[in-house]
Amino acid sequence: MKTVDFYLNLKDSPACIAILDLQLKILSHSEKLVQESFTDEKDLKGQVFYEIFPSFPKKLRSLKVDSFDGKTFIEETERYQCSGQRTYWYRWKIYYWTDESDDQGRITVVREDVTDSKRSEEFLANSLKVARIGGWEVDLINNQMIWTDVTREIHEVDADFIPNLEEGINFYKAGEDREKITTLVSDGIRDGKAWDTELRIITAKDREVWVRAKGEAEIVDGKCIRLYGTFQDIDERKRMELKYQEVSQRMSLATDAANVGVWDYNVVDNTLVWDDNMYRLYGIRREDFSGVYEAWESAVHPEDQEDGKNRIGMAISGEKEFNTEFRVVWPNGEIHFIRAFAITQRNESGEALRMIGTNWDITEIRQAEAKLKNLLDITSEQNKSLMNFAHIVSHNLRSHASNLSMLTGFLSKEKQEEEKIKLVEMLDEASESLNETVRHLNDVVHVKTGTSEKIKPVNLCKALKAVQKNLRVLLQEKNTRCVIDVPTDITVNAIPAYLDSILLNLFTNSLKYSHPDKDLEISIHTRKDGDFLWLSFADNGSGIDLERYGDKIFGMYKTFHRHKDAKGIGLFITKNQIEAMNGSIEVESEVGEGTTFHLRFELTESNSGLS
Amino acid sequence: MKAMGDVCIIDDDHIFIYGVKRLIRETAFCDELLVYHNGEDALEELKERLNNKLELPGIIFLDLNMPMMTGWEFLDEYLQIKTKDPSQTQVYIISSSVDPKDLLKIKEYEVIRNYILKPVRIDDLEKILAEQG
Repeated sequence: MKTVDFYLNLKDSPACIAILDLQLKILSHSEKLVQESFTDEKDLKGQVFYEIFPSFPKKLRSLKVDSFDGKTFIEETERYQCSGQRTYWYRWKIYYWTDESDDQGRITVVREDVTDSKRSEEFLANSLKVARIGGWEVDLINNQMIWTDVTREIHEVDADFIPNLEEGINFYKAGEDREKITTLVSDGIRDGKAWDTELRIITAKDREVWVRAKGEAEIVDGKCIRLYGTFQDIDERKRMELKYQEVSQRMSLATDAANVGVWDYNVVDNTLVWDDNMYRLYGIRREDFSGVYEAWESAVHPEDQEDGKNRIGMAISGEKEFNTEFRVVWPNGEIHFIRAFAITQRNESGEALRMIGTNWDITEIRQAEAKLKNLLDITSEQNKSLMNFAHIVSHNLRSHASNLSMLTGFLSKEKQEEEKIKLVEMLDEASESLNETVRHLNDVVHVKTGTSEKIKPVNLCKALKAVQKNLRVLLQEKNTRCVIDVPTDITVNAIPAYLDSILLNLFTNSLKYSHPDKDLEISIHTRKDGDFLWLSFADNGSGIDLERYGDKIFGMYKTFHRHKDAKGIGLFITKNQIEAMNGSIEVESEVGEGTTFHLRFELTESNSGLS
Repeated sequence: MKAMGDVCIIDDDHIFIYGVKRLIRETAFCDELLVYHNGEDALEELKERLNNKLELPGIIFLDLNMPMMTGWEFLDEYLQIKTKDPSQTQVYIISSSVDPKDLLKIKEYEVIRNYILKPVRIDDLEKILAEQG
């Protein structure tokens, strides 16, 4: 029942409301409507509604009375305001009724300002668009699927594309991606389980795109009636992530294959992180240590720790890049050489924040180098000794030859018989000396060229006893006390003739250079050292001034005693013989106290395991 | 030709010494010949001479390869004791060595007048005499 009161009451309504006749002229309106219109008039009665409010939708203006049929029409419009560049959104509602007082048709218009909600809707839509997040929904009862615009954009389909669930699923890349989404969707329908996964789709334009698909199921009475969720284009991020994964995988493959360990030291927090390779390089297990630093300290060779710490310090202070080498001792005692390199990251003021470094094992290189250097040393030593040898030989041959030529010169001119006899005697002597020199030369060449017998296991104790027995008479003459403390079962790799010659020379040296005031004492001991056996041969003889002759004692034709039998060849040959058997000889001595020779032999395999 | 002052031979080879003695006799090279079979004996005797206010020899014939003390070692010690004697000594190295190391070392010693490779011939001695003027 509409009355005049109704028209009057309308005035105070808090809504923007107006009642129009069928020509859309205003019959009555609320005050609020006037406030929000662009007119100065207080009373809008009799005005055509859309002339006052041009944003009134055209569609509503042309509605026929018949079409209302009790319905309310709703239409939304945008209105721009020139002043603030601001957009207003209005929702217009109109409905038709009949004023019973005059039986005339009336139209009520209500305008709502929906700008705020519209703006947040727009904002959300924009956000989703920027984030490339689309929505989707499946009505399982009618098997209807709804995609939002962004979802369609991601699939690169037309704006009017309407998929069903099966078509939606078929966009996923055939193979594991499609299988996975099928499983997730079926699980969702069956158990109401939500999903959140990253898979590839093939768009309508045949591009492969990574998407994040989230879905939830709505279950009513134990039956899934609806699936809904979001659909996000994560292609760029995902590809970067995959690329990074690939790079870091490739990197870790490379570091694994090259056995490069990577460490990361946070200078600020004082924390150190190692990858698995680091532990492998140090021969230790991660679980055996409470922290990385403890592991490092336990493994690095004690002599190299301080240097390592200093170098870290220098790298942090910026004095010197970290680029060094050190040794680590494995739990089994093996020493490994580690090469280490690091870069230091700094902040703008140059303070070190972080060090990232690598370690790798260079033991083989170092060993090869050492071997090479050793070979080089041996070669140059041999060259030197050969050169020396050549000069000595030339000297000796030359002195005897020049004596011979001098003597024959005298002899040819000599008239006195007595003098001639003397000259002939000297010629004899000179030729004998020459002969001896050639014999020595022959001995030396024999050893040097290794034309000798093969190396074989020799019982050292037996060899010593045999030489001792041969020299029995000479030893007794000097009233010698001889101690041979050598295990009877020990065998060394030796050339028997050389070993005999060496031992004979050591004994005869002790005999020759015994102390004039003391009975000779000889004591012989052995000591095992890994694969080697050290034999010490000590006497209490007159000794050698090693400070003076040290480096010459094993030289050729070097003699250090006023002794008629001193030829300066014995120890030279001894040294060459022991070296031909892969051994070595060293000497210690004190004048007036005695001399000890230390000889190193290779143990035969049957001996080397025992201790 | 007037013979020069004392001449000293230091060599462990007695055949060589015999030969040099003969050559010196033939050339009337010197008044007195001092013979030592090794460097140590030579040093001891020469020190003794200094103590007895005797002059050191004017010429020393020195061998290099000798037992116990080489010619070089002798020379180093000899130069020490020689500082007490203002008279000139000339050293001639007489050796069989053709080792380049020895030949280089000669240049380090001002006192060495020359190097004579064995065998020594009468010409060598005559040349030395001529050098003495």
